[in-house]
Amino acid sequence: MAEQDYSFTQEELDEIERLKAKFPTDKAATLRVLWVAQEKYGHVEPEVQQLVAETLDISPAHVHGVATFYTQYYKEEMGKFVLDVCTCLSCQLCGGYEILHHLEDELGIKAGETTEDGMFSIQSVECLGACGYAPMLQVTNGVYANNLTKEKVDKLIENLRNGNMPEFESMVMRQNEKRKKAVSE
Amino acid sequence: MAEDWRSYEPLLIPDIPNLHEIDVYEENGGYQALRNILDNREGKWTRNNVTNEVKAANIRGRGGAGFNAGLKWSFMPDPDDRPRYLACNGDESEPGTFKDRNIFEFNPHLFIEGALIAAYAMTIDTIYVYIRGEYIDWVNIFEEAVEEAYEKGYLGNDILGSGIDIDLHTTYGAGAYICGEETGMLESLEGKRGYPRIKPPFPAQKGLWGNPTTINNIETLANVPLVINNGAEWYQSIGAEGHNGPVLYGISGHVNKPGVYEYPAGMPVMDLINEVAGGIRGGKDLKALIPGGTSTPVLRADQLEGVSMDSNSLREAGSMMGTAGMVVMDEDTDMVDLLWRISHFFHHESCGQCTPCREGTGWLEKVLLKIKNGDGEIKDLDMLLDLTTQMEGRTICALADAAAWPVRHTINRFRDEFEARCKKSVHAVA
Amino acid sequence: MPEVFIDGKRYEFEGKPKLLQFILDQGLEVPFFCYHPSMSIPANCRQCMVKVGTPIADKDTGEYELDENGERKIRWFPKFQTSCSTTVSDGMVVHTQESSEEVARAQKDTLEFILINHPLDCPICDQAGECPLQIQTYKYGPEGSRFEVKKVHKPKRVQLGERVTLDAERCINCTRCVRFTEEISETNQLTIVSRGDKNYPMTAPGEEFDDPYSMNTVDICPVGALTSTDFRFKARVWEMNQTPSIDITNGKGCNVDLWTRDNLVLRITPRQNEDVNDYWMPDEGRDAYQQFNENRVSRPSIKLDGDNQSNTSWNNAIETFAEVLEAHEADNLAVIGSPHASVEENYAFNKFFNLLGAANAKFTPHVIPGYGDDFLITDDQAPNANGCRLINLDESEADGIKAAIQNAEVVIILSDDLIGRDVFSAEDLDDKYIISLATNQTPTVEASDLVIPITCIAEHAASYINVDGRIQRSYPAKETKYTNRRLNLEMSEGRLDRYGTNFDNWVSEENKVDCLPVWEFLNHLGDRLGLAYQQDHSRTIFAELSNQFPALEEITYERMDEEQGVQLPIEQQEVTQA
Repeated sequence: MAEQDYSFTQEELDEIERLKAKFPTDKAATLRVLWVAQEKYGHVEPEVQQLVAETLDISPAHVHGVATFYTQYYKEEMGKFVLDVCTCLSCQLCGGYEILHHLEDELGIKAGETTEDGMFSIQSVECLGACGYAPMLQVTNGVYANNLTKEKVDKLIENLRNGNMPEFESMVMRQNEKRKKAVSE
Repeated sequence: MAEDWRSYEPLLIPDIPNLHEIDVYEENGGYQALRNILDNREGKWTRNNVTNEVKAANIRGRGGAGFNAGLKWSFMPDPDDRPRYLACNGDESEPGTFKDRNIFEFNPHLFIEGALIAAYAMTIDTIYVYIRGEYIDWVNIFEEAVEEAYEKGYLGNDILGSGIDIDLHTTYGAGAYICGEETGMLESLEGKRGYPRIKPPFPAQKGLWGNPTTINNIETLANVPLVINNGAEWYQSIGAEGHNGPVLYGISGHVNKPGVYEYPAGMPVMDLINEVAGGIRGGKDLKALIPGGTSTPVLRADQLEGVSMDSNSLREAGSMMGTAGMVVMDEDTDMVDLLWRISHFFHHESCGQCTPCREGTGWLEKVLLKIKNGDGEIKDLDMLLDLTTQMEGRTICALADAAAWPVRHTINRFRDEFEARCKKSVHAVA
Repeated sequence: MPEVFIDGKRYEFEGKPKLLQFILDQGLEVPFFCYHPSMSIPANCRQCMVKVGTPIADKDTGEYELDENGERKIRWFPKFQTSCSTTVSDGMVVHTQESSEEVARAQKDTLEFILINHPLDCPICDQAGECPLQIQTYKYGPEGSRFEVKKVHKPKRVQLGERVTLDAERCINCTRCVRFTEEISETNQLTIVSRGDKNYPMTAPGEEFDDPYSMNTVDICPVGALTSTDFRFKARVWEMNQTPSIDITNGKGCNVDLWTRDNLVLRITPRQNEDVNDYWMPDEGRDAYQQFNENRVSRPSIKLDGDNQSNTSWNNAIETFAEVLEAHEADNLAVIGSPHASVEENYAFNKFFNLLGAANAKFTPHVIPGYGDDFLITDDQAPNANGCRLINLDESEADGIKAAIQNAEVVIILSDDLIGRDVFSAEDLDDKYIISLATNQTPTVEASDLVIPITCIAEHAASYINVDGRIQRSYPAKETKYTNRRLNLEMSEGRLDRYGTNFDNWVSEENKVDCLPVWEFLNHLGDRLGLAYQQDHSRTIFAELSNQFPALEEITYERMDEEQGVQLPIEQQEVTQA
């Protein structure tokens, strides 16, 4: 692959200025600018970390330390869709591992791997804060797919292959009946 | 706790469609507490009076520690020329906990109003709301609410013509449980690795960028407008002795109707499991309950009789209220597998800053994996118990405690099950 | 005076000391790893835990409450406290591992944790012998290990930069190295990466750890995680002798230790002096060990025909030197002292030629403008320009030196590579008779007709006055052909010198340089010339200096030793010379 030139567009730089303005120091924007970079490149490999350090005029070591501390930053290129299957506590109890293993079987890869076509990566992750809707997974740091069954997973894979991302699902409290009705309408 | 919970109407997340929209929120009495305070700044609602009222209400922190929120506010030093911050902790990551996202989604303005009142009471002009990175959808939902609040003049300069300026910045993490620890969150807000800080100095003295800072949980702050509108006495009438107000219970695991429910503090545990959450799936028997998130000690079914979800009752029963994230386990649950998975979580999430936690969490997990795989020995169980005392109370933050307690209590409370998994040859000595 | 009770003994204190530092200051001990007195306190190793309590005082009267035995009631902290981060307060009661089983157990617990993922490869680790982890494990650690599962594996033999090698498995995450680059050298080149037990220190990808102070991280690493690439596997610390000295590679005069084995200097490390360099020194200063061993001028040499020098005997060298001096008037001598040589050498050198009737020796400072930083690297490349000034040598710019040479028939140069540093060129010396008294082979030495090998700082006791006007001194660290470690009381003896047999103390003759201290050579030369010149020892030379120069009044080697050097009441000169 040709060497890629890593840089932010003016629009992205404007966004970064807006993020910097939230904090009294530029260093504080490290996490947010890493996010901007990951959104753009799909990962924060060393060159991207370097870009973030240069953009914020902070030490590259600092950016590297931060990037490697937080699990949502992809330190290497991932599949187009990263399926983060929660296997923690409640999801474990409700079949999170069955969902994970089903996915592994379906896609022919293990957790931590990426399919050869670069379409899917699977990860077994810690609690995503959807314990009441277990088992569940998150697609590429984005939308949650709740109350999974093997069938739902198959459907999800098929939809993703066709480029259809699942929609945000509002999990209304059971006590909020009126609201529930309003949402379903 | 009386039996009247069945008639309880939610206060934090009332059943009002589109309440997340500011107009709907206002129509339903929203921002009245703030208006009232700002109108009576010289009289009833001086900054001190607001703090005292909240202190009197004794809102126990909903992030897990259960500390009186108003008391925490009173630790802020008198204003000087330094900036002062309110840092709102929306990093809920304690397994079993999924409540604050409901506030962001369904009643964000209640929280914003609470945060504004807190900021007013402590003479703070900058609020940070730190949300876990995985909740990006809720970050976006919440930011819309913030924008509305700015547009309507509840945030920004000269709030409602009061001459008071308060800004609210939303930001988010990128995957680290430890950033839910209050000083770990401060480090993350400063753009660093989420290493918890040594205390003292406490955040009220030296918090964000070395300046006075108060940290409150999202649900905690959402309780504040209720207290201002209805008074501390009213708030004290809800819930249990010493643990008042509405609570968002997150119920998950082997129940028929998992989810978040809002009821008063001090709910009978068995009512929550059997009635509210519809009982155990498949008509099975209850085996155990983790009452307030992974780090709270597990209770066997036989320990739950007459127990209610408040700090006193749970302490007596041998556990803690934590975040009220209840994880319910049925009779088929493999406690060895479960404990290994809990230990895996803490091993994965230990920041690695200090020795007993960095090394201890990994050791616990590795030995539990050995036991889970049938290669353990009885002496390993005793060693595990030993390791928990070597970790507890020896670290900068409470993650080591949170990792140690489940190991200690799960082994102690399900010892037979663990011994049965150990190598028989070793066991045969007796 | 406020008081604190440590293991049952009362101590008075002033101010707000931290408990660990206070304990150390009393000569007591609590084990620790991450704490460093010159950096921030992260309290992350958790090794220095002690039991702490404070007396309960009546709120109104302020009087201490007493129990039934009349003893003060103590409110104990519910958890052990890390003594490094605990501020001592009046009436505080402290139990360390010396008086509390519980505390000793807690410290042992922490050590057990620290050791589980540590490779325990002391037999092949450079740190062994000077390793806080090894020492404290020996003193406070568990007997064996209960860890029977797999250790975490991390990168090994990582070249962080040119000088520092990382073994991440040995790292105990004390963060001293990271804090050093953040707080002391301020290059921010290191960070801890990853999380939990996968943590280790690292540079950013692709970035080299080229911090000009990088090797200080090796010194402060409490384990063998960061080692000196250069020194790795060269010697065991217990085989070496450690001798205090001064960094001569620049004008700061960082206090250092020279580590020798078999009369080779194998490494140089900083020696703490809070008035000069605290615990630190620049990497450059550590390279100086090579010039003490290699490329030395050993035995006198003389140019007989053409440009070829050949070794000659001391007697012949003295005779030749004397004949040259006898053949020329003192006016025709150019005598050049050196900011690279010590106060005593310059004085003895200058005095000798004064006695012959020559004017005061000239010298030119060795300064590279802009070379220094605001820390320990100076523009001045020499250790003793102020020393030359103090004894009234004739300070000149390069042109002045050049002019002096042009007008002379004989040029006598003390320990300064004036050609190498472009003060003049070899051509300027054509037709002159050049005599060098030198430690190392240099272009100047090469251009000389007579070369007298003299001792370097590693071989003599002598003093140097740094850019700030502080006088500090060296000790002989390595033997010459004419000195003997057993006889010279100023020379340190290592473990092998003291306890080794001839078989395990492999001292060889070849590492001893055939050289003399300047004054000793000049004694011989003076004898030959019938000059009333006798200088026994640098110590007596210094006594003479002290009588002669008011700025050195009441200054002695003893005072320099006791006070780690003495600040002189001299004007600090702004260095402008190029």
